[in-house]
Amino acid sequence: MSNQRKCHKMQRWQMAIAFALVFLFAVSFAFAAGQQENQAAGAEETVTLEWWTWDSEEYDEASQRAMAKVFEETHPDIKINMILMPVSGFETKMTTALGSGVGGPDVTFFSIANWYPKALPLDDLIERDNFDTSIYYDAFWKTKTQFDGKTIGLPLGVGAQFIMYNKDLFDEAGVAYPEDDWTTADYLEIARKVANPDKKIWGCEILKRPFRAIWFNHGEDVRLYSPDSKVVEGYLNSPGSQQAYEWFYDLMRSGATPSVSDMETLSSENTGPVDLFMAGRLGMATLNQGHMLNAVKEGMNFGVVREPGLEGGERYVNAWSLMVSIWEGSENPDESWEFLKWYVGPEGQKFLMDNANLFPSIGSVAKQYKDADKDYVQGFLKVLEDTNVAIWRGTHPSGSKVESGIKDLWDKIQLNLISRSDIKAELDALVPAAQLTLEEAKKTLGK
Amino acid sequence: MSIPLKGQNKGISPVFNKRITVNIKHVIKTLFIHLCMILIAFFFLVPILWMLSTALKLRWEIFAWPPEWLPREPHWENFREAFKRVPMWGYMWNTLRIIFFKVIGELFAVPLVAYAFARFRFPGKKVLFLLVISTMMIPLQTKLIPLFSMYVRFGLIDSYWPLILPAFTGTPFFIFLMVQYIKTMPRDLDDAARIDGLNNYGILYRILIPLCVPALTITVTYTFLWTWNEFLQPLIYLNSYEKYTIQLGLEMFKGMWSVEWNLLMAATLSTMLPVLVLYFFAQKKLIGGIATLGLKG
Repeated sequence: MSNQRKCHKMQRWQMAIAFALVFLFAVSFAFAAGQQENQAAGAEETVTLEWWTWDSEEYDEASQRAMAKVFEETHPDIKINMILMPVSGFETKMTTALGSGVGGPDVTFFSIANWYPKALPLDDLIERDNFDTSIYYDAFWKTKTQFDGKTIGLPLGVGAQFIMYNKDLFDEAGVAYPEDDWTTADYLEIARKVANPDKKIWGCEILKRPFRAIWFNHGEDVRLYSPDSKVVEGYLNSPGSQQAYEWFYDLMRSGATPSVSDMETLSSENTGPVDLFMAGRLGMATLNQGHMLNAVKEGMNFGVVREPGLEGGERYVNAWSLMVSIWEGSENPDESWEFLKWYVGPEGQKFLMDNANLFPSIGSVAKQYKDADKDYVQGFLKVLEDTNVAIWRGTHPSGSKVESGIKDLWDKIQLNLISRSDIKAELDALVPAAQLTLEEAKKTLGK
Repeated sequence: MSIPLKGQNKGISPVFNKRITVNIKHVIKTLFIHLCMILIAFFFLVPILWMLSTALKLRWEIFAWPPEWLPREPHWENFREAFKRVPMWGYMWNTLRIIFFKVIGELFAVPLVAYAFARFRFPGKKVLFLLVISTMMIPLQTKLIPLFSMYVRFGLIDSYWPLILPAFTGTPFFIFLMVQYIKTMPRDLDDAARIDGLNNYGILYRILIPLCVPALTITVTYTFLWTWNEFLQPLIYLNSYEKYTIQLGLEMFKGMWSVEWNLLMAATLSTMLPVLVLYFFAQKKLIGGIATLGLKG
């Protein structure tokens, strides 16, 4: 083949590649433009809302899709594009969308406090439609819908932590089931009795952190700092706080818990002690309504009881609700509000309660819960009657910052690096640093 | 000299005797080495075997004590359930489609860019090359928001374009690899081809690329592996459930409050198969390429 022919052949080839590339890019952008035109054309007739959600024990994919269909039937001008995503990726995707200011959802969970400033204030819409907000449990309304003096979402469902106990293991050990008035001392004793180290069965799990319901149960002064968010001294290192830490110290040395490494290894994927509990290797575990539903599904023989406290003392519960909000960048705020108030209102929550396993945040709906006669449901609903830790924590956004600053003591107790008598001195030593952290946190987060 | 026959009780020559002894020693040594290798291979296979065992168990049997290697009763239906719960076949197909176009993109762009850097002299070449290479140092997470914002404005979200298009400009890692590879080839080859009448494209596509097969195999294999295992970008750019890729599908087994380990392991095992098949076919070139290019996993 002559050089000239080779050259011509090569040029044809280059041309073909160039054309292919141009075609490729042209198609991609034409496709993109087409998509936008279609959206624009569709907008004249119906509005399509983007609803980002995930699949959970309380509301699975099928029930959510069915709920969206029911909404569309009753609201023919609004279509719902349900975008189901993995729970593990939700935070990243939301943060990316909110950070870029484009491409966000119309309606979704605003489950992280950093996102709150990006939620659309709803007060005007609530007032315009006379939407009755008193239908929601007061504690969740106060802690899960308000930010910076504005209402930025509605609370979907309720959840709480409580102790689940394995009745079979209790029966095997000949231990009586715990009752609502049980104390932290009872908890220790029961955990010791149920544990069977030969079979690698433990009485209870290692708690994840302090200043949770069981800490609050130790008395009014067992807080990270004063209720006015000003003083750490006398709270973090109060006698009650010392007592709570000492109780944890005793628990860690009771032989009733797994080792720290066992716990870390087996409690993978942040699912807490649920796997061990379901495998019949934990007599008691601090779990929640989602775990409880899993246990029901697996046919476990279990009971539910609130976290232990001091005799005669006030009882707290770590309870929550999931805030659903409208993104401030939504192009269809009115239609989004229509969907939000239906979805998180009595109709939507009742639908998810009847067709899935949602525990509604609306008292009148919760009373109609399908399995309300079951022991575990009654146990769960009873737990919700206790004072919600979130009422204190929700008004004190600096709490998590201060708490993370005192994690060393928690680790030292777990790893057996201090003795019981050192706890008071350790707590006293933490006060100045915690006070400083509080001052710093208040500057950025406000009271 | 007569050769001793079988059955004759005398006359086995010392040389023959020694040879038998040497052979036996050789067999024992080989057996020992193979046994050791089998044991080491088994050690490496333990996680995979545990995956299989987990995939065949009931959900809460997995955490039983003492650990049970063999399920009390193998639950093969876990595989069926996993694929029923999440449309994994569809996700595999989606991922393969993305891989196909990405491979085309890389094979198109990487040699072109690398050839330019390896063979041409032009102003700012060093700076430009440094710039290309330095993009490898920027973590994806920091680019995510601007990239997302850009693709939203182009209307390309919820399509595969954001996942495919970057491949058509070449991945810096592969460009770097190819530049180094081309640089090892003597320029005399180019000169000879030029004398024979080939232009730059001819030299690249007819002379150099056939010699770059190990580097290109690595490009294809790594593109396959990285895309197969990619989670973050599909998560950000795709919205429709039916368009999801394998890694998004696997994440769906991790719930809000618990993980369905048995189904997750069943799905993961199944999705490993294409990767194993690829490795089976590409291993010769891949190992050769890795050895030549001095890459380590």
